[in-house]
Amino acid sequence: MKSKAVEIENFTKKFGDFTAVDNLNLDIYENEVFGLLGPNGSGKTTTLLTIATVYKPTSGDIYVYGHSVTREDYVVRKLVGIAFQDPKAMWIDKPYELLTWHARIVGYSSSEAKKVVQDVMELLGLWEHRNKQFYQLSGGTRKKVELAKVLIQKPRVAILDEPTAQVDVLSKHALWDVIKKLRDEGTTVIIATNDMFEAEKVCERIAIIYKGKLRALGTISELKDSIPSGDLVEVQFEGGGIPEGLLRALRDIGRVEARSSVLKVYVEKGEEKVIDIIELFRRYNVKILRIMVKEPTLDDVFTYITGAKLREES
Amino acid sequence: MDWLRGLLLVAQRDLARFWRNIYWLAGQLAMNIADLVIFAVIFRGLVNPAYIPDYIRFITPGILCLSIFISAFSIGREVGIELRREVTHYLVSLPVTRGQLVAGRILGGVLRGFMYQAGFIILAVVLMGLPSVDKWLLILTASLLLAVTMSGLSITVSTLTRDFNLQAAIRSLVYFVFFFVSNVFYPEKALAVRLGSAAPFAYYSPMSMTVNIYRYGFNYVSSIDVFFNLTGLIVWSTLAVLFTYKVYIRNLTG
Repeated sequence: MKSKAVEIENFTKKFGDFTAVDNLNLDIYENEVFGLLGPNGSGKTTTLLTIATVYKPTSGDIYVYGHSVTREDYVVRKLVGIAFQDPKAMWIDKPYELLTWHARIVGYSSSEAKKVVQDVMELLGLWEHRNKQFYQLSGGTRKKVELAKVLIQKPRVAILDEPTAQVDVLSKHALWDVIKKLRDEGTTVIIATNDMFEAEKVCERIAIIYKGKLRALGTISELKDSIPSGDLVEVQFEGGGIPEGLLRALRDIGRVEARSSVLKVYVEKGEEKVIDIIELFRRYNVKILRIMVKEPTLDDVFTYITGAKLREES
Repeated sequence: MDWLRGLLLVAQRDLARFWRNIYWLAGQLAMNIADLVIFAVIFRGLVNPAYIPDYIRFITPGILCLSIFISAFSIGREVGIELRREVTHYLVSLPVTRGQLVAGRILGGVLRGFMYQAGFIILAVVLMGLPSVDKWLLILTASLLLAVTMSGLSITVSTLTRDFNLQAAIRSLVYFVFFFVSNVFYPEKALAVRLGSAAPFAYYSPMSMTVNIYRYGFNYVSSIDVFFNLTGLIVWSTLAVLFTYKVYIRNLTG
């Protein structure tokens, strides 16, 4: 039985008449990388900021290791660290000073703070920027400064709101490794993102939030399997035609589209069905030149679940 | 101990920013002080000596009061910028209690007030002479209470709205009311005549109470109602702290 790091119970947050999050129920387990996926304005950031005790729930509650964000907010803040979507600094702030102060406020002594800040800044490639003012930093570097705060704090629950937005591709991969390492060291990581590749790359479980409501929850493969006939087995075969008997047999497995020497079969759990398909081709003596199984992307999952395109919505 | 550490760190952050913005504040102060000096020189020759024998000696405690008022009040400007840029989200997510955060921010304002006032205290000593030890205590207590009041008030006012123009307008209004509706510029005898219906506010203004104590402390007047002025300042500062705690936290945490 996995222990729960965060329990979100009937959580609703309203700003005036606008309902940002509507009756959300969700459990996040200890030591997992959990993703909140959804377009901008879907309620991801509001949920994260409430876990971090920045906002108070309008109704319902959120518990971090059993501590209520409404009644024990101070205890929760000791357990949670957050890297905000937009870096929270003034233009004249310098990364080193900012992070050293952050290290002190999260509990390090003065000498420890200097050491841990240098270590983290070097890890993220920020050391050379340490004495620049914030307005002189690129968007990606500012995001790294936000992430550095969490790495310094090493909280039990780390909240990362779009951690690699504005970060270049090379740095993204490095940051994903850093995030996984944080998890390996015992931190539960919650990531909000609208980058499906990032979600697939880093997250173990995902919640899809759309217009303030939870639409789907599960591991990536569970979500993909939730689309009926979502997997595609694409076969390129020798010769121009396909025997009628083979076609009939394939239609028993899934929906079939045949085009000259390429055949597409839409199935559920494609990785299992591909064996049956190969066997059928062998039985009808049709030589397979190439065969591949394509899973639906998270974008497909999002489209199927919400009826909207994630990129368009974002 | 842990509580004090968090509070001091919050105050330290504000103090570090204060030093970074010191030229802006120096400009503000220089402008205001220059105005006052000019007023002092002109009024010295114009004001009936029967009312105010020496306007420079009269206004010097006022300048002292304004120096701590202006610098303590300046923290509100930064709080306002932080609110608009949502840096406040960061502050309220930190592992400190709401009480530590509010007290730390007020203390940040108080410390910058004292730092700026230090130079003016020397000026006052040069112009007015050295107060006795008990009067020094009184002067410093009054400074502390006024700084707490103004720091709290400016933080509260700056969190009332995220609209920059409205924020600036409200801050200016509060600033000028406290600045001018007091006995900093006019003797008490003239308040009722010059300020009309605003005279009672001037009488109970924390600025007036502080200036009264300063004038007594620097021997400009031989006696005042110390209990009334000190109690008044304690009430003002207590209300400011309570009000800041409620409004600042409520407006920051939605």
